[in-house]
Amino acid sequence: MHQGAWLLWALSGGLVAITTTNPFYLLPLLGIAWVVHAAHARPGPQARSFRIFLIFGALTICTRTALVLFLPDIQWGNIVEAAMEGLRLAVLLTVFGAYNTVSDPFGVLRLSPRRWHEPALAASLALSIAPRTIAAVSTVREAQRLRGIEVRRWRSLPALAVPVLETGMEEAVVLAESMDARGHGRGRRTRYRPERWGREATFVSIACVFAVGVAGAALLRNDPSLALSAFPVTWPAVAPVMLVAIVGLSVPAWLSLGDQTRASR
Amino acid sequence: MTSINFERVSFAYPDSGDRVLDDVTLSIAEGSFVLVTGDTGAGKSTFIRAINGLVPHFTGGEYSGAVTLRGDTVRNTLDCAPRDLADLVAFVPQDPAAAFVVDRVEDEIAYSLENLGADRAVMRRRVEETLDTLNIADLRDRSVRTLSGGERQRVAIAAALAPGPGILLLDEPTSQLDPQGAEDVLAALQRLVHDLGITVVLAEHRLERVAGFVDLAVGLRRGESVTIGQPARVLEKLGSGPPVARLGRLVGWSPPPLTVRDARRMAPRLSLAEPTGTEPVTGAPVLAAAGLSAGYGRNLVLTDIDVTLAEGHIVALMGRNGAGKTTLLRCLTGLHTPESGTVAVRGEPPVAGHNVALCPQRPESLLFAESVAAEVEATLKAVGSNASADAALDALGIGEFRDAHPRDLSAGERLLVAIASTVATDAPVLLLDEPTRGLDHESKTRLVRFLRSWASRGRAVMVATHDVELAAQVATSVVMIATGEVIAQGKPNDVLGDSPVFAPQMARVFGPGWLTPEQVAAAVTS
Repeated sequence: MHQGAWLLWALSGGLVAITTTNPFYLLPLLGIAWVVHAAHARPGPQARSFRIFLIFGALTICTRTALVLFLPDIQWGNIVEAAMEGLRLAVLLTVFGAYNTVSDPFGVLRLSPRRWHEPALAASLALSIAPRTIAAVSTVREAQRLRGIEVRRWRSLPALAVPVLETGMEEAVVLAESMDARGHGRGRRTRYRPERWGREATFVSIACVFAVGVAGAALLRNDPSLALSAFPVTWPAVAPVMLVAIVGLSVPAWLSLGDQTRASR
Repeated sequence: MTSINFERVSFAYPDSGDRVLDDVTLSIAEGSFVLVTGDTGAGKSTFIRAINGLVPHFTGGEYSGAVTLRGDTVRNTLDCAPRDLADLVAFVPQDPAAAFVVDRVEDEIAYSLENLGADRAVMRRRVEETLDTLNIADLRDRSVRTLSGGERQRVAIAAALAPGPGILLLDEPTSQLDPQGAEDVLAALQRLVHDLGITVVLAEHRLERVAGFVDLAVGLRRGESVTIGQPARVLEKLGSGPPVARLGRLVGWSPPPLTVRDARRMAPRLSLAEPTGTEPVTGAPVLAAAGLSAGYGRNLVLTDIDVTLAEGHIVALMGRNGAGKTTLLRCLTGLHTPESGTVAVRGEPPVAGHNVALCPQRPESLLFAESVAAEVEATLKAVGSNASADAALDALGIGEFRDAHPRDLSAGERLLVAIASTVATDAPVLLLDEPTRGLDHESKTRLVRFLRSWASRGRAVMVATHDVELAAQVATSVVMIATGEVIAQGKPNDVLGDSPVFAPQMARVFGPGWLTPEQVAAAVTS
């Protein structure tokens, strides 16, 4: 699918998530991010980075909740409210994590206007650093284990950190050399075949616009179902149209995208 | 069509007094297929990088003289940075995986063209032509991260070739490839030289394949002047060469042959005794794997493998890139849990770093200490051993480097340090994953000597390797796997002797039964 459609999907998912603290909206969104990741994760180290985003999400919920515990005269409502705010951030992270695994890290590069090429390249290289580092960490840990060094305690950290940083540096130099040798930065730059905006991209965009539109309208008219009422804690209401809009964001999971569409070109 | 001229080029890396290139003057005619050879640290990479200006523009350091490229235009590397030469010279580094810039194969190939500002119509045509030249049209939509070693190398070459350069530089292009993959890459390069008139310059250690393809060689040796000329003469002067050349030197053929075909022509001059079979090694089994099946998710990589490693044995594990060698090694160490089947080391489950040790493909992934000795001591401390680090270093013949920083050593020496830190665990089973990458003749001799003495002390050794000549030299038995199954297992003679792809050079010249030049030379009767 067109990288632009993926970007739109991630932005829409994120926007919908930050408008609400209602778990009946947030949890389906979380599930959708997962399903989309499961259906379209690209092979390679990025796919594994999804787990890291989930872990960070869980940590966010815990820290956000733990912070409230230090409040004087704490009530159930405070805890629930904090947990839901944590959940909102966690969903945001998960959506971004799913985007990270389904999209081409260099997709951003292809979308950017020519004059923004340099910053976009820097951004996409930065995006590809996380998965590369994750892969390096597991390679080095294994290599050390195989000669008897378990990297568990702080004291054995150099055995992990030094090789990871050193190979990272080496790879960066190789990449820089190779880019220069291939004429990077010569000024006049053209672009190879722009991506095709297919039917799938249109479907996904419609779903995204709908979702953002519904969430935005709900926000404007202060829809009570968006926020969880915490004092006292009650089950929040659910607006059916909102739920439909959120479920609509799962469209990419039901479409067969990517290589097949290219092969049939 | 481009020629290369070095004029009094000298170069020393920053913070090092030693000149890697010392007053080099030579010229390489257009359309040559050039081999750059020499020990590690002799400056092969430096020489290659000097041609497109990465030296000195990227490295800094002390540089004098100039390299001039003459094609449709005349440019030199002092006035032009590498990017300004990108339409004239293309460069493929040793590890192409680290050098890929974008994700999809087709975009990767178009990347240089985009940088050079080619028109879209030109780009479309050049990308298609390049895909065909390297025969990789079926890979066009793949992600570069999912390619096998050989595919990766061909995609990297295609990406370099797309803008139609007159010169192609490659740093050890076959060092990670299986014999067939290496052959394919070299054949593709030869086609470029013959059909398109491109000048190809490649640095390489393993000469048994390359020597037959190239028509010019540049020999580098530390502290000596550069030699350039006929490959046979240059290799004779360096005292290196493929096994047939080693044999030529042993039995006094001058000039020594470079290819199996040359050697066959000279072979009738020798009368040989019957090949003596090597003494079968007998030893108690140490590691036994039975009915091993393993994979990742639903994808089964190994099916029903039985392997035994016994005391005193050195087993060579061979097979294509992607045949499952690495997965098998991971199962034997206990790092990867098999779907079914068992692995036992003297009746107990394998424990990584305790009863099984493995030296990884890239030594960089475990070296972290400030000195070579400290590196080995880190292992000794972790496994609670009182042994001295020097024993392990001496076993590998690298005692002289004990106080050096691993980073200051050559790639081959670093690998030996990694092996020393692995054997320091004193595990009864030692596994090595592809230990000859970047290893020059000298370091390889040290490795062979070490493996023999280690095995003779009652240890079991398994070496996963593409290097058939190494297998011919040290293996007591060979396990050949294909698509995750053992397809042959037995003595090197029986498994490798008549294989069209895996036979060592001596077997190709004199028939199955002969493995190393030393063995042949010892059997000469008149």
